Amino acid sequence: MVTLLNKRIRLFRPHTIWIRRVVQWFFFLLIAAIAINHTLAESGAAIPFLANASLHAVCPFGGVETLYTFALSGLMVQKIHDSALVLAGIVLLLSVLFGPVFCGWVCPLGTVQEWVGKLGKKFFKRRYNHFVPKKLDAFLRYARYGILVWVLYVTAASGTLVFESYDPYFALFNFWSTEVAPSALAILGTTLLLSVFVERPWCKYACPYGAVLGITNLFRVFSIKRAESTCKADGACSIMCPMNIEVDTKTVVRDHQCISCLECTSEAICPVAKTVLFTSGGVK
Amino acid sequence: MNLTSKPLAVIVLVLMFGGISFSSVMGWWQTETTKEPATFTEGEFAGMANPADIRGSYTFGDITNSFGIDSQILAQAFGIVTEDPATFAVKELETIYLDSGFEVGTASVRLFVAYYNGLPFDTTGQEIYLPRSATDILFTRNNLSREQIAYLEMFTVNLSEASAPVVEEPATEVHAETEAYVIKGKTIFGELITWGVSQETIEGIIGAPMPDPAMKIKDYATANGLDFETIKPALQAEVDKVIP
Repeated sequence: MVTLLNKRIRLFRPHTIWIRRVVQWFFFLLIAAIAINHTLAESGAAIPFLANASLHAVCPFGGVETLYTFALSGLMVQKIHDSALVLAGIVLLLSVLFGPVFCGWVCPLGTVQEWVGKLGKKFFKRRYNHFVPKKLDAFLRYARYGILVWVLYVTAASGTLVFESYDPYFALFNFWSTEVAPSALAILGTTLLLSVFVERPWCKYACPYGAVLGITNLFRVFSIKRAESTCKADGACSIMCPMNIEVDTKTVVRDHQCISCLECTSEAICPVAKTVLFTSGGVK
Repeated sequence: MNLTSKPLAVIVLVLMFGGISFSSVMGWWQTETTKEPATFTEGEFAGMANPADIRGSYTFGDITNSFGIDSQILAQAFGIVTEDPATFAVKELETIYLDSGFEVGTASVRLFVAYYNGLPFDTTGQEIYLPRSATDILFTRNNLSREQIAYLEMFTVNLSEASAPVVEEPATEVHAETEAYVIKGKTIFGELITWGVSQETIEGIIGAPMPDPAMKIKDYATANGLDFETIKPALQAEVDKVIP
């Protein structure tokens, strides 16, 4: 740590939150193992001591989809189990406290998009994640709320998981199964292709669960906060943000797209100590 | 209070797995259906199993346990030819009827079970198809309202013999296809209807109104002082007329 122009600057700093990568890998492997074991279990060859629940049982969005039906009749939407409601509750608690950490740290579809995005970073360098015109981008960011409303409506009206036929997450972990609709595979393929140009395109523009969790950014307990007094205004935090949030123009990040990845903080890209913080208190 | 990545990682893992463990202890963590459908919570059917909660993972045997409908009846209703209908999973219907051009699946079973047992079932805005064999059985129950009859007439599908589903049996249990249409001691009246013998014909032979389709012909004969070996050839002759 050195002091330059009255600002404390760290000479050697990590550029990413490595522990987040570890957690992402962990959940990706866990869900993949469960999905594979579920397939094996259907043919009577399940691996012992490993969960073989269906993907719907371990997806918290199922808990959101079934809420209306559950509240109305006490029944669950077809294919959804109680565990999905439990997970939805846990993720909601996490989100109220820390924002959509589920998106940034847990969701395997987000993880896969990040992995593909590394290719895009190699190809396009600084142009990566900046291809979509700002006006169009700002408009498209709200599309996921439209999708959320549609998903909730069709699920409530039909009592079935209509979204399954379009869900890239379901397709990702069931692409070998006949249960996956071609439309879901097409959306998964498109998402992965777009990930070469745009970071987390599904999360930004289409994910209905991200839309739900994104709302917690407006009132979460721990937020990303920037100390104006020590900020160098170099824009590093904004450049690093996978969701293109202009962190360097805000004192508190309340953007509905933040995924709490912490990549913008002083622990990662920000060169000035205690300047971009993940905190429940205030910053000077 | 400031939080860095490592404590956050620990909190995420602890809350996720701690929450799952807690819910497991509380009995809330269910990753599969219990095979026991939810019950009606109010009204005259309160406490009875709700057909709307039938899942694709249920077998006909599970439905028998919860709703008291013989799995033979269910197999006949949905044209499933199998030695052991109790083990047939409802979700297999969608695959079996895939080429029929109509969606016959879990919703169809829900509808059938509800109408069979006279239980409420909301069909508003839904197009739930039933094969003719299923509606034929329902019509013999004489418990349908006008609206229900109209709905069934609208969404009954006639499936050609070519698309009639046959569940593959293990290689060691191969049976001649025609054997499926032979009246035996366990044959029920519903099967005769499904095979195409009319209700009037059956009533003409047994000399009485058609009993519950789930009833075995042999049991009916015994209970009504009829000789099973006498009515069986007469009924078989009618079956042979309609089955080429």
